Amino acid sequence: MFRAAAARALRVAARPQFTQQINLVRPQIAASLLRNSQTTPSLLIPSIRFYSAPAGLSREEVQGRIMDLLKNFDKVEDPTKISGQAHFANDLGLDSLDTVEVVMAIEEEFSIEIPDKEADAIHSVEQATTYICAQPDAH
Amino acid sequence: MALAAYRHVLRAMRIAFRGDLDMVQAARHQARHDFRRDMSLEPASTAAVKAIEHAEGVAQTLRENVVQGQAVSGEEGTYKLNIHEHTERGENDTVKNPRGKGGKVKVDTGNF
Repeated sequence: MFRAAAARALRVAARPQFTQQINLVRPQIAASLLRNSQTTPSLLIPSIRFYSAPAGLSREEVQGRIMDLLKNFDKVEDPTKISGQAHFANDLGLDSLDTVEVVMAIEEEFSIEIPDKEADAIHSVEQATTYICAQPDAH
Repeated sequence: MALAAYRHVLRAMRIAFRGDLDMVQAARHQARHDFRRDMSLEPASTAAVKAIEHAEGVAQTLRENVVQGQAVSGEEGTYKLNIHEHTERGENDTVKNPRGKGGKVKVDTGNF
């Protein structure tokens, strides 16, 4: 008696999961039966997303993105001087207001917010790269 | 001092005009223009201190008291407002008299 009830309960508990799994695939199958397979070929592949492990940013990538950003910044006097070691003021001819703007642009590029104190300390591409690499949230 | 104020103004613009690229551009241009104009001021002079105070005030107003609305297409007279965590919101009984007893108008989630 008890065993039968327990078995029934187990069956009931197991069922929703089973139907859910089926549901993942079923709409596509049903849709493919309804439509002409010749006209809609590749769209019916079940859309399941795969996520990779967080990879983090490599130093080269960060540096490249900061340099690209500087290339698009019209205040830079001589774009050929943009390098991984360039200093915003000494090499690129940016003043302090421009530097604030560059740091803000870097924030936007990597979707982070740099606190005032740290932001004031960033004066070169190298410092910015080091700071971004140390941020786990940057992407 | 002035640089921090400039950063605060730019940040406030980013919050207030989120998603409105034209407005962000125009606001940034204006901020840049005004800061450049005052660049020659002596850092310790009253004029400079006043200008920084003004900038911080602008930043605060933009962040807390400016809410942009966008018309919802298809529904006449309906606007979607960009109310965010920094927007100042008053209680029903204190909003009419913010300076009165218990008149704390700031949002407690705002971290300024």
